[in-house]
Parts: sequence; C-alpha cells; structure tokens
Amino acid sequence: MRHRDPLTDEQRDELDALDRAIAGEPVQFDRRELEELVLDVRATAPEMSPAFAARLDQEVREGFPTPQERPPVSVRRPWLSRPWMLLPAAGSLAAVLVALVVVFGGTGDNGLRDKSGNQLDTLGGEAAIPTDGGGPDVDSSGSGGASSSAGGVSADRKAAARAPSAASVPPSDPQAKPAPPSSTAIAPARTRRVERNAVLALRTPDADFERTTDAVIATVARFGGVVASSQIGASDAVGGEASFDLRIPTERLDTALAALSKLGHVTERSQSLQDITASFHSAQERLSDARAERRGLLRTLARATTQAQIDSIKAQLRSVSGRIAGANGELSSLRRRADLSRVDLTVRGGGRNGESGGAGGGDWTPGDAAGDALRVLEVLAGVALVSLAVLAPLALLGAAVALGVRGGRRRRRESALDPA
Amino acid sequence: MATPSNTSTESFDSLYRECARDMYAYVRTLLGDDASAEDVTALAFERAYRRRATFDGRRGSERGWLFGIARNAALDELRRRKRSAPLLGELPDEAARAPEEEADLAIRRTTVRVALAALDPRDRELVALKFHGGLSNAELGVVLGTTESNAGTRVHRAVSKLREACHAPS
Repeated sequence: MRHRDPLTDEQRDELDALDRAIAGEPVQFDRRELEELVLDVRATAPEMSPAFAARLDQEVREGFPTPQERPPVSVRRPWLSRPWMLLPAAGSLAAVLVALVVVFGGTGDNGLRDKSGNQLDTLGGEAAIPTDGGGPDVDSSGSGGASSSAGGVSADRKAAARAPSAASVPPSDPQAKPAPPSSTAIAPARTRRVERNAVLALRTPDADFERTTDAVIATVARFGGVVASSQIGASDAVGGEASFDLRIPTERLDTALAALSKLGHVTERSQSLQDITASFHSAQERLSDARAERRGLLRTLARATTQAQIDSIKAQLRSVSGRIAGANGELSSLRRRADLSRVDLTVRGGGRNGESGGAGGGDWTPGDAAGDALRVLEVLAGVALVSLAVLAPLALLGAAVALGVRGGRRRRRESALDPA
Repeated sequence: MATPSNTSTESFDSLYRECARDMYAYVRTLLGDDASAEDVTALAFERAYRRRATFDGRRGSERGWLFGIARNAALDELRRRKRSAPLLGELPDEAARAPEEEADLAIRRTTVRVALAALDPRDRELVALKFHGGLSNAELGVVLGTTESNAGTRVHRAVSKLREACHAPS
C-alpha cells in the first residue's frame, strides 16, 4: 500500500549514512557502527560460481541466442494472455461506432431527404389512398381573404395583394390544373379517409425574399391549392419573414411540396398523417339514420288525422332536419380535411446566398464550400464529443482494472515473502 | 519490434557488468540456494535483454528496472516452490572460508548472518536490495512499487531490526 510515512531527521541522517557507507564513502564517527554493519552484511553476500559467471558472460555476449521454450518478447502477443489490454481498443471502436450511429443513424430509413438533409415523410402508400374525388371545397367564410399581420412596413398591402381568396384562385399558370370540384355524394362505405398536414420552412437570401413569396403563391395556385391565410413581414434590418397557411389538394401534395421546396433552402420539412375514417363513417351513419327518420316522419305526417298529431310530427321533423344539417356540415368538414392537405409554410429572409435553393441559383459557390466545410467540422466535432463521452468512462474503468490487476499481481507475488 | 541497436546492446553489456554480481547476491539471498539463484539470475538478464527496448528512463534508473525484473522472477520462483526461502541456510561458514581473518571478525559476521536469517522475509529482502543491490531509496521505490519516502522508511525499519538482532544476546 502506498502511504506517506515521514522520516524524522535522525532517520534521514542514518539513511544518508547508510547510502554513503554502501557507496564506500566515509561516514561520521557516530555512524561507524552502521558502516561496520554494511561491511559485515556485504561480506556475507553470496557470490557466483566461476562456472556460472562464465556461462552468463557468454550468453550475454551472444545475446541469448537460444531462447527458452517461449517465443521472444518481441513477437509475443501480450493481449492473448492479458485480454484486458484490449479494453481501450475495444472502447475506442465502440465509441466510434456509437458516434457514427448517432451522427448518421437518423438517415438510415427509407424516407426521402431534401437537399439540406431534412427528413421527408413520404407516408408510404398513403398518398394513393382513395378519396371521394372532392375538390377544394373550402369554406370561404373562414379563409376567404388574407389575414395580414403588422409585421412589416407594407405587410398589409402585400398580404392583401398576394393572398388570393379560396373562392377566387386564378390559375396563374396555364399548365395549372385546378382541382376537380368537390363531390357531395357520400363515398362508399369503408373508404379510408386520411388527413395530411405538412410543415415546410424555407430560408432565402434577402434579395430573393419577395420573389420567393410571390413564387409560393404562384406555385400553390398552379397545383390547385389556396392560400388560406398569410402573414408577410419585411424589414431591412432583420430580413423578411412570411408565413402561409396553405391548402393543397391531397392527391398533389407531394409534387406541390417538392416544387415549394425548390424555392429556397429548406430548413425544416415534415409531414403528419391522421386517419379520420372512423369520424367520417360515424357522421355518414348519423346522416343516413336522420334521413331515414325524416322519411318515416314524412310518411307518418301524410297519415296524420288530427292537428295535434300534425304539430307533433312537424316538431320532430324540425329536430331531425337540424341533425341532418349538422351531420352534413360535419361530413363536409371531414371531406375538406381529407381532400385538402394543410401546409404551414414559412419563408425567412437573411439566409446566405450560398444557402439559396432554386430561387437563388444552383451553382456551388465558395460560400457553399465554406458551409460544407463547416458542416464537416461540426460532424467531426460531434463524433469527437460522442467518442469522448463513451471513451472517458471506459478509460477510467480500464485504468481502474489495470491498477487492480497490477496491484493484485504484485500482492500475489509478494505473498511469497510471507512466512509459511 | 525493431531489432535492438548496437548501442543498446553495448549499453546492456555495461549494465550487466555493473549489476550481475549484485543481482546474483540479492537473488541468492532471496531464494536460498545456488541452483535456483543461477537460473533466476540468468532468466532475469535474458528478460531484461529482450525487453531492453521498452526501458523508459523517465520511470527510473536502469539498475532499478533490472532489479525489478529480477525481483519478479525470484518471487515467481518462490511462489512456484510454495515456500519461503531460508536465508543463507546453505552458505558456507564464513569463518571456515576465511581462516586468516581474525576470530572476532568471523564471529561478528556469523552474528550478522544469523541476524539476517532471523529477519522477516520482507525485511530480509529489503536489506538484500539495499546492501547487496546498492539501490537508492528512489530505485527501491520503483522496484517495490511505492514512494521513495515509504521505501526509505521501510529500509530504516528493516535495518533497525537487523541492528537489534545483531545486538541481541544469543
């Protein structure tokens, strides 16, 4: 065990005298006894036999040419007998693997990835889910005009100019195909109804901000969608920011998102899906029941003979009509949610030119290179950090194990000095 | 591993000549018989020769490193034999080997041998490392795996016991 055992001055003097005596140097008079002890002990020192001395001389001279049965140390593999020596190497390997999984693991699925590395949820085959063919049956009372914020100097004017109403979306692009008109027919039973939402955030250079927001509106119209609401703010100091609440026909959502993503540097893109089939069919059944009830009441009304019967049946008919109207409204709402996907789109100005997407040109500039280099450094720093986080405990553990093994081996060896 | 250079070979040869007899005396004191002492001494030098490229001067002197190897080999031999070696049990009688010496000197050295033999094996090893090996306290600390201060304390304690044993009435 290692511990401090301080020596007194007297003990230090004696040890110094002992070292001098062993070195053959003169010692103080009062230490002569110690000098004699050294001489006596050294006089009892065992000596090699001349034959052994000669044999050892020869072996040293020849460099121990005939090693004993074991291989020479230089070619031995100590980790075979001491596997714990592999612990640091194994720890390093594990750390690198963990770091790689952490850094790159998120990209290992089957989803698409946009140019900035954001995950695109393609929803698998859900895009092909049959709908009842309804078009953009948008409730114009709620989203007929743009609701502009006070974000910028000319925000109100721009918003009003750029946000077409749902009822008056002009096909600005001759190639645009307006969505087919909504059908009020009740879809066949058991048809799956899915509501899709998407969030998209773009960054664009300040110089391209207005052009990008204009392009957003044009793109939405081209795919038969509408801008339900928009907020556009612009400032020379902090750059512009615009947010759009879009409705895109579900069947064209993926292509529309792809087109919108090309308008700038995508900083965020995600999609969500909600199955509303149960709600839809529940509303359908309630509507069907109410209609059947109304037909029955009408038949009863035709057979009524007294004024009291007529009044009672009319009251029931009013109630049933209210339920029919409610179920109809709910069905329409659900149908709109299934037919039109909601897209929350944000466009932020102030991005570097190198981060611009299609709106700013696609050349790989020195700015792009600098950005890529920075990204590489970030990834490397992340790998190093994760490696360190894994390696540090392993290194401590390895050091503790090594110390324990070493100490244990030393104690086992020194146990040979214990009295039998 | 690279083949040792001529310089290191020459350096090892010098170390061998400087330490061989002291190491043998230490190992012989520890093991108690000539045959084992010769085997262990030769094995220690061979190990040191093959490992000489791994010597790190920052961790101590070559002499301390060499005695560390010898100590490990000797302790392994002791463990293998499962017994603690009697000190100097087979040594020739000093007085008989040096008849020309004066009688009181012979008696004194016999007393020292008996006192050494009576020491605890750990203390006896310390005395052997110090007196036969000629190691400094710093070198002793490296060999024993402890600090220089602790090594000095242990040496002082062992020497004090030896002195007491030498002065004890027989």
